[in-house]
Amino acid sequence: MAREKIYLEEVFPSPFMQLWGIFRKTPVAMVGFCCFIFLVTLAIFAPIISPYSPVEGHLDMILLPPAWHIDGNVSYLLGTDELGRDMLSRLMYGTSLTFGLSFIVVIFSLVIGVVIGSLSALTRGIKSSFLNHFLDVILSIPSLLLAIIIVAILGPGISNTVWAIAIVFIPQFIHITRYAVKEEFRKDYVLASRLDGAGNFRILYYSVFPNIVERLMSQATLAQSAAILDIATLGFLGLGAQIPLPEWGAILANGLEHFYIAPWTVYLPGLAILFAVVATNLVGEGIRHALKLRKEN
Amino acid sequence: MLTFTLRRLSLFLFTMLVLTLISFSLSFLFPGDTVINHSGQINATATELAQLNEAYQMDKSIFTQYRAYLTHILNGDLGQSMASQSPISNEVIELLPATIELSLVALLIAMLIGIPLGFIAAINHNKASDNAILSLAMLGYSIPVFWLGLLAILFFSIGLGWLPSAGNISLLFEIEFVTGIQFIDILLSDSPYKWQAFSNASAHIVLPACVIALAPATIFIRLSRAAMIEVLAASYIRAARSKGLNFKQIIFRHAIRNALIKIIRHVGLQFANLVTLAMVTEVIFSWPGIGRWLIESISQRDYTAIQSGLLVLSCFIFIIHILTDFIYAALNPLARGNSHGS
Repeated sequence: MAREKIYLEEVFPSPFMQLWGIFRKTPVAMVGFCCFIFLVTLAIFAPIISPYSPVEGHLDMILLPPAWHIDGNVSYLLGTDELGRDMLSRLMYGTSLTFGLSFIVVIFSLVIGVVIGSLSALTRGIKSSFLNHFLDVILSIPSLLLAIIIVAILGPGISNTVWAIAIVFIPQFIHITRYAVKEEFRKDYVLASRLDGAGNFRILYYSVFPNIVERLMSQATLAQSAAILDIATLGFLGLGAQIPLPEWGAILANGLEHFYIAPWTVYLPGLAILFAVVATNLVGEGIRHALKLRKEN
Repeated sequence: MLTFTLRRLSLFLFTMLVLTLISFSLSFLFPGDTVINHSGQINATATELAQLNEAYQMDKSIFTQYRAYLTHILNGDLGQSMASQSPISNEVIELLPATIELSLVALLIAMLIGIPLGFIAAINHNKASDNAILSLAMLGYSIPVFWLGLLAILFFSIGLGWLPSAGNISLLFEIEFVTGIQFIDILLSDSPYKWQAFSNASAHIVLPACVIALAPATIFIRLSRAAMIEVLAASYIRAARSKGLNFKQIIFRHAIRNALIKIIRHVGLQFANLVTLAMVTEVIFSWPGIGRWLIESISQRDYTAIQSGLLVLSCFIFIIHILTDFIYAALNPLARGNSHGS
């Protein structure tokens, strides 16, 4: 048997890989993670795999119940709505609107928040104190209320909703980045690389970021579950996605009129939202749990 | 305590200034003419418009304009609703108490359910009941509030027929408007059907209040669990145990009191969350509160109403915030001296 490595090399996994090692061993978190990956795939490939168009109505198939119902039709697996649009296709397209957009929004706010947050962590004095107080005020306003205010200014519509939610989540990321970077900067390894002659930005990039990335990810999952709920709520209130966009909250609001005779048009999109939020929260809980265990070791 | 009060007071004034400034600038951000957005008089004739321009000092500098706007607000003039052409301050006085009533009842339910469950979870830390409560809490936190409201209506109102699904009291009862808070008004009225009205109003509030309470209750579970775990690990608990107190005495005499203080601090923050949920729930349950009115104004693009409604609602949330800060400081001497603006 050929041995390729003669010398036994001691490998130290990076903090991120350590975290992944712990995360992988938590079954509940892995289930959540698989659901999350499933939703991401669905959001990307919805136009290819969905059986029908989300806006095309089949007028001979109006208010068809789901396939397991006695009157159901298996070609419309989850039934149809009052215009004969296939629920399954609408929910699939809705994944890319509700879930996909919330994902993009969170990434966007994360990047902007991290840049501003790490820059502000390097400043001191009155600027920093002002930012701190300002963030405290902003963070004490619930995200949905702030989003409603911004939508009120911009006017209803899905693109305005996305902008509103992106703006709403930036302060959270600024706050957490600022706090985490400040905490790391007090540690000895930063001092060590400073003694090696590294500048602030080099320290930030090579030393600090690898150590705070999981904390940011945990915050990102929290933000995403809130973003899904906010997009859906605004859609439901008629302030977000407009007819005929198959956004989950808007589908639900649309089904309200036929709530009693066709309850599946209400409970299916609700279940979809619940599923997405639970999957995101499970991933977040998994990360936090793994972080706690890694700290204890 | 005096410095604490002064500090809070200055924070209060500063925040009010910022809030009015934001609401003032909204008129410029909204489409349409600024003075019409301020006053809401969309059908104003040329002379009326000139009067309005004079009243809001529109030809002067922006600072004078802001001062004129502030004077209007301090005099209780929030303008007219663009949609109904009635003074907004009257509408707010009618609608805000209903929202306050609903959110206070919901807060009470959330605390009564959430805090004991959190304590139970903390006492059984890392056992099956702890995990069960935490999983339930996560599920409750993930349910979209509007969906929960609809399911509650479908199940309890339509399916079982136990509870009414819309409004805050049956139309049969005529309750005179005194404070706007339904329960107080009923008790003040001298109608012979007082107690029927009271029970009817209670039946109306149960469903929306429970729907609103679910998400905050799960947050209270987490908060109280974390607080209790922290308290139980403290050395004074160990001292009490070594003194020979039994488990019950430790929990009821020492742990609960200290854990509760930590939770009270977060009530203000949770209240803001709760009011937002109440806004959505009011739409579903047709509750005659300010949240439904505000959301309707947004869809009708009634800019004056949006602007004033937001101002009133955010002031209300902030006042509750300050109040809980005071209660917290009154209960916990450690919090009074401490750092700036935290």
